[in-house]
Amino acid sequence: MTAGQALPLTQAQEGLWFAQRLDPENPILNTGQIVTLRGPLDRAAFTAAVEQALNEAPALTVRFSEGPDGAEQIVGGHVFFRLNIVDLTGEADPLRSAHDFIDRDMARPRDPTCDPLATEELLILGPELHVWNQNIHHLVIDGYGTSLLNRRIAALYNETVTGVPDAGTAFGSFAELLAEDAAYRGSEREAKERAYWNELFADRPQVIGIAQGEATSAHTFHRFTLDFGPAVTRAVTARAHAAGLAWPDLVTTIAGAFVARHAGSAETVIGVPHMGRFGSVAARVPAMVMNVLPLRLAIDEDAPLDTLAAGVSRQLTRGRRFGRYRSEQLRRDLGLVGGERRLYGPLVNIMPFDMPFALHGIDSDLRVPGAGAVDDITFTVRADGAGETMRLELDTNPALYSLERTRQLGHRFVAFLEAASGNERLADTPTLSPDEAAQWRGVQTAADHAVEDTTLAALLARRAAAQPDAPALIDGDVRLTYAELERETSRFARQLRLAGVRHGDVVAVALPRSRHLVLALLASVRIGAAYLPLDPDHPRERIARIVESARPRVIVTTREASAALPDGAPLLIVGGGDDSSDMSASPFIDPTPTDAAYIIYTSGSTGAPKGVVIEHRAIVNRLLWMGEHYRIGVGDRILLKTPATFDVSVWEFFLPFITGAALVIAPPEAHKDPQALARLVRAHAVTTMHFVPSMLALFLDEPQARGLSIPRVFVSGEELPADLRDRFHTLIDGELHNLYGPTEAAVDVSYWPASRADRSRPVPIGHPVWNTRLYVLDARLRPVPAGVTGELYLAGRQLARGYLGQPELTAERFVPDPFFAGERMYRTGDLARLNDDGAVVYLGRTDHQVKLRGLRIELGEIETALMGAGTLAQAVVDARDDGTGSKRLVAYVVAKEGSAVDPAELRAHVASRVPDYMVPSAFVALDRLPLSANGKLDRKALPAPSFAATLGRPPETETERRVAALFADCLRIETATIAADDDFFALGGHSLLAAKLLKLLRDTWGQDLLGLGVIFTDPTVARLAARIDTARAATGARSVADDEGLAPLIRLNNGDDASALFCIHPAGGISWCYAGLARALAPGHGVYGIQARGLDAAAAEPESIDALAADYIGLIRQVHPRGPIHLAGWSVGGIIAHAMAVQLAEAGAPTGMLALLDAYPSDSWREQTDPSEDVALKALVQIAGSDVSELGGGELTRERVMRFLRDIGNPLGLLSDAALTGVLNVVAANNRLVRRHRHGRFPGTALYFRAALDHAGTSLTPQLWAPYIGALDIHDVPSLHAHLTGSEATALIAPVIARALRDRHII
Amino acid sequence: MTASAFTIDGMRADIARIIGEDPAEVGDDDSLIDLGLDSIRVMTLIQRWGEQGVKLDFAQLAEKPTLAHWWSLARRQLAGNHPAG
Repeated sequence: MTAGQALPLTQAQEGLWFAQRLDPENPILNTGQIVTLRGPLDRAAFTAAVEQALNEAPALTVRFSEGPDGAEQIVGGHVFFRLNIVDLTGEADPLRSAHDFIDRDMARPRDPTCDPLATEELLILGPELHVWNQNIHHLVIDGYGTSLLNRRIAALYNETVTGVPDAGTAFGSFAELLAEDAAYRGSEREAKERAYWNELFADRPQVIGIAQGEATSAHTFHRFTLDFGPAVTRAVTARAHAAGLAWPDLVTTIAGAFVARHAGSAETVIGVPHMGRFGSVAARVPAMVMNVLPLRLAIDEDAPLDTLAAGVSRQLTRGRRFGRYRSEQLRRDLGLVGGERRLYGPLVNIMPFDMPFALHGIDSDLRVPGAGAVDDITFTVRADGAGETMRLELDTNPALYSLERTRQLGHRFVAFLEAASGNERLADTPTLSPDEAAQWRGVQTAADHAVEDTTLAALLARRAAAQPDAPALIDGDVRLTYAELERETSRFARQLRLAGVRHGDVVAVALPRSRHLVLALLASVRIGAAYLPLDPDHPRERIARIVESARPRVIVTTREASAALPDGAPLLIVGGGDDSSDMSASPFIDPTPTDAAYIIYTSGSTGAPKGVVIEHRAIVNRLLWMGEHYRIGVGDRILLKTPATFDVSVWEFFLPFITGAALVIAPPEAHKDPQALARLVRAHAVTTMHFVPSMLALFLDEPQARGLSIPRVFVSGEELPADLRDRFHTLIDGELHNLYGPTEAAVDVSYWPASRADRSRPVPIGHPVWNTRLYVLDARLRPVPAGVTGELYLAGRQLARGYLGQPELTAERFVPDPFFAGERMYRTGDLARLNDDGAVVYLGRTDHQVKLRGLRIELGEIETALMGAGTLAQAVVDARDDGTGSKRLVAYVVAKEGSAVDPAELRAHVASRVPDYMVPSAFVALDRLPLSANGKLDRKALPAPSFAATLGRPPETETERRVAALFADCLRIETATIAADDDFFALGGHSLLAAKLLKLLRDTWGQDLLGLGVIFTDPTVARLAARIDTARAATGARSVADDEGLAPLIRLNNGDDASALFCIHPAGGISWCYAGLARALAPGHGVYGIQARGLDAAAAEPESIDALAADYIGLIRQVHPRGPIHLAGWSVGGIIAHAMAVQLAEAGAPTGMLALLDAYPSDSWREQTDPSEDVALKALVQIAGSDVSELGGGELTRERVMRFLRDIGNPLGLLSDAALTGVLNVVAANNRLVRRHRHGRFPGTALYFRAALDHAGTSLTPQLWAPYIGALDIHDVPSLHAHLTGSEATALIAPVIARALRDRHII
Repeated sequence: MTASAFTIDGMRADIARIIGEDPAEVGDDDSLIDLGLDSIRVMTLIQRWGEQGVKLDFAQLAEKPTLAHWWSLARRQLAGNHPAG
C-alpha cells in the first residue's frame, strides 16, 4: 500500500459514503470521543503517542473521491498527522469554552472528498486538567476501532512515561483488511450468507417503530442517560445466570419485547450492532467494519422468558456466524430501499465490557458524544468491567421523538427491564413504569365530580316550576312557554296512563319531528317509562324486530306513520283529538335514578339491532355536565334536528328544558338540507346545535351558511377532520366542540374544544366528561403509554345498563373494570392513543382494520394521510375485492371546493406518509360520499373501482426505459420499481444526484442535448424522455438559456396552480435555489422561478428594479392571468418581489402573499462600494451556498471558481461558459440596479424569514423595511443567509409559506 | 491454581463449559465462533484465565478464534512468566 494509491471502498464504507453524499451538510456521522484527563499529563509524551498511533493507521488518513468506477479512497490523502493543542487557560470559563469548542466541532459536517476525516485536539484547561477531543468520521472508524486506537495511544504514552514496553498493541494491516473484503465479494461464503439472510427474511414482518414517521437520520439526536443502579443490574444478571444465559442476550430479548409492546405487534425486527472482527485481521485494525444484524422477533408473552431469551440467543449466535453479510446489501436484496421500507426498527446495542483508557498517573473520564446516525431510536446498554452497574444511553431521532418522550422511554425501559427480569413470563410485566402507573391511576379520578343523584323527570319538573313564563319551545308558528309545555306534557302523560303505561314500561315513539314527538318523550320519562324511538322510514322488518324484542306497552305514532309498524302492535295515535282526559290529578310518577330513561337501538356487527338501555342517573350526569361546562341556560336556543333514533338527539330534546333554554324544532326533512338549516339558524338566532362532521362539511359548502354566527356548534358521530375544523372557523363565527361517545354510554363521554387556535392533527376526542374514565388498553387490558395505539374502554357513571334482553352480549362488551373494583367498563372497539397532554385521539375502529397479505392495516391511518394532502374535503379507504378474490385498498375521495383530484399526486403524498403496502391501489373521485339514514357514511354504497388504469404506468418507449434505468443507477434502486410518472426527486434524488443524472444523460445522448434545469422542470421519467426526444428531433438552433434551464420563467414543481408561488431569483439571476422549497410545497401549491433575462449574455441590461418588476409581472400574467400573485424572494430577489408587490397594489390587484427571505432594503446596499468582477465571483460562490475561504487564498478567477463549483458538485459548476458570463453580468447589473432603487410602499403584511445565525454586529434588521411595508410577520430561521434555501432552512420555511398560501386560498 | 496447571485441555474445558458443549466437540482448529462463542464469553474467559496468571489480549484472540492459536498465545505468556521453568 503506497501513498496516493486509490483503493475501493469496503462494503462497510459504501453505505456510509452514500449516506453522507445524500446529505452533505449532515454532521451526524462524526463519531466523537471526549476524554477528560486529570493529573500531571506529560503533554509531549501524549502528543507523540497520539500522532504516532494515528500515523500508524492508514485507514484514518484516506481521502475519498468519486472515481470512474464509483467511490474510492486514496491512501495518504492527508499527510502527516498532528495533534492540535488549544490553550484555553486564558478563557474566562475554560470548561465552558472546551464544551463550546467540542459542540462546534461535532456540529461541523465533514466532506470526505476534501476534509481530514480524523482530527485530534488537546484542550488545555489548567496545569493538571486537559480535555482530549477526538473526532473521526464514521467512514473510517467504528466503536471497536476507536477502542483499539485508545489502547495503542495509552500503551505508547505509558511506555514513554514508565519505561514499561508495549505488549502487542500494534495494529494489523489495513491492506490485509481490504484484501479480505475483496476476497469476500463474490465468494462462496458470501453466497451462503446471502442465502441465509434472504431465507430468514423472505416473509419478514412489517417493521413498526415506536414512533410514527420516516426514520431518516436528522442532523442531531437526543440523548438520555440513566444509570440502572445495582438493584436493577443484579436483577438482570441474576436472572440471566439462573437461566444459563449471557446477560446481554437477556437484555436484548427484553428490549425487543419492549419495542414490540410499543409497536403493538408481537412480531418485529430490531437491529443489533455487530463488531464483525472475529476471525479477521480487522480484530487489530482501526477502521470501519461493524455491521448491523437484523434480529427477527416473535414475542410470545405467555412463553417463559427464559425460553424466549434462549431462542434469541441462538438466533444471535447464528447471525454472528453469518454476520459479514452487510445489512445494507440485504435491504437491497429485499427491495427495502427508502426511508419507510426498513429492514429493522430500533437498534439495541449491548456493550458488555469497556476497554478502559488508562494513562499512567492520570485519572481519565471518557465520554462518547456521538457514534453515528440515529435513524430511529438506539438503546445502548453499557456495563462496567465487573458487570456491577449498567447504564442506559437512549439516543433518539429528534424528528420522531421529543426529548421528553425520550426521557419517558428511558425510565420506562429500565423499569420494564427490572420487572421483566423478575417475572416468569413477559405477560406479567406491565408496560407502564410504577411511577407512570401511579400517575395513570391519578388521572382516572381527575374527572370525579359531585352530581346530584336524581332523574330527568325531577330536573324537568324543577325547571318548569322555576320559569313558567319563559319561552320553552318553537315549532314553526307554535310557541310554548314552560307553563304551557308542562300542561301539554301532563295531558300527554294522561293519555299514556290511559293507554295502560305504567312505571317501568317501555313507550315506543314513531313520530316525525314535531312538538308531539317532544311531548311524547317528556311525558314518557315523567311517568317513569323508558322511551324507545322508532324511525318510520326505517325498513319495516327492522322495526318489527325491534318491537318484538323491546315489547313496548304502546307505540305512539300518527295515522300515516303507523303503516310502517307491525300489525297488531298497541298504538296510540297522536292528533286523534282525544284530549278529554281528567285534568284533576297529576299523572306524573317519579322514577328513581336507576330506572331506564331511554332505549336506543344500534346496529350490531352481526346485523341484528341491539337495544341500549340508559338509566336516568347516566343521562343526568351527561346533561348536567354539558349545561355547566358550556354555560348553556336561559336565553339559549338549541336546535332540534337530529333524528330521535340517533342518541345525539337526547341532549337536544332534554338539555333546553333542564337548563332553561328554548328548543327550536327543525321541520322533519330539514336536517338533510343545508340551506333550510341555515335559514332556521338565522331566523331563530340558534345558539347551540349539532352536526355529524360529514353534514357540517355540506353545511359549510352552502353559501347561505357562510358568515353565520352560531355561538356553539357540537360535532360527534364521526371523526372531525382537522381541515374541516379550520374551514369552520374561516366561515362561521362561533365555537366548535368535538364530542365522542358510543350509544352505550349516555351520548358523549369525552370533549375537545376544536377552537380556532387548535392546531392538533388529528383532532383529539379529548378528555373525559364528569365521573367518566377513558382507558386506552392493550389486548391484555394493560394501560398503554402516551403515543401508543390501544383500544379505548369506558368506565364511570354514564355506562349503559346493557343491551335489552341480551345478557350474554352485555357481559361480553361490559366487562369487569380491572382498575376499580366492583365497577364495569365498556369495550368500545375503537382504536385510540393518548397525547402527551392526556387527550385521547381516535384512530378508527378495531374492526376497521383489514389484513392484506398478512399485514395489519388501519384504514383510518390511510384516510388521515390522504386528508393531509390538503386538497380533499373527505376521504374514505376501503378494502375491496379486486375480482380475483384478493383484496386491494381503494381510496374514495371528495375534492375540496376549487381543488381537483389528481390520483398521481395523492398517491405520492400518501406514499410519503405510510408504508407502501398501505398505499391505495385505486383512487375514486366522488362528488360526495354516500350517507346512511342517520347521516353516517354508508360503506356499502361506495362504488366498485376499476383497478386497471390506476397503477403506475411502466416506462414504454425506448427512451423512457433508458431514462428509468439511469434513474435507478443514480438512485441505487431497482429499475423495475420505477414507473413512467415517477419523479426523480420524489424517489430520493437531490441536486447533487441531479448533476450526476445529467452526466449520465449526456453520456447517453450527447453533451449538448440537455441542461441541468431540465431535471428540475421535468423531473419524471416520461417528461424527461419527452424532452430528450424533442431535443433530438429538433434541428433548429435553440438558445443557450433554454437549454440550460435558464429561461425567464421555469416551473419548479407540478403543484396546484390555483395558489401558485412565484420565486424571484437572487443576485445571480438563477432560481434553481428554490427547487427544495418547490418540492416541499408540492402538490398543494405550484412553484415557478423567475430568472434574469440577462443570463442570456446578449440581452440588454434592464433600466431599473421597477422596470424589472413590471417585466416579471408581465411574465407571470402569461401563466397566471387573474387572481392574487404570491411572491417570494431571497436576498436581491426579495427587493424585486417587494417592488412587484408595490406595483400590483398600486394597480389595485388583489393582495397576494409576499415572503422575503433575508432581504434588506437597498439603502443598506448603497453604503457599499461598487462591485468589481472579483465581487461578482464571490457572490457566485455565495449563491452556491459556499464561502470564498473554502477556495483558499489568492486571486479569484472565473476558472478557479468554476473548478471549485464543479469540485463541490454544485449545479452551477455545470453552466456553459456563455451562461457563466451571463450570471456574472447579472450579478454586476443587480448590484448597480439595487443601489439606484427607491422603494415604494407595500401596504400589506409581509412574511419575513430572518437568517438568524448571520448579521451579528451589522445594522441589518428586518425593521429596516418598516417605512416600506405595512406589517412584518418575522420568523427567525437558525441558518446563515447563504443557507436559507438549503434543506434544513426549507424544512422550517416551507410550512409557514404553505400555511400562508392556504389561508389566503380559503378566504 | 497456579499457572503451571494451565493446559490446552483446561482451556478446552473452559470453552466447552461456557458454550454448553462437550469438550470433545471443541477441536483444536475449529472456529470457536461457529461453536457459539461471542465477545462477552471471550471476555469472561480472558477474565478467568487472567485470574490464573495468563493474561491474554482480546484483539489477539479475536483475530484467530481457534483453540490451537489461543494455546500458542497462552504458551508464549507462560514462557514469559516462567523463564526456563
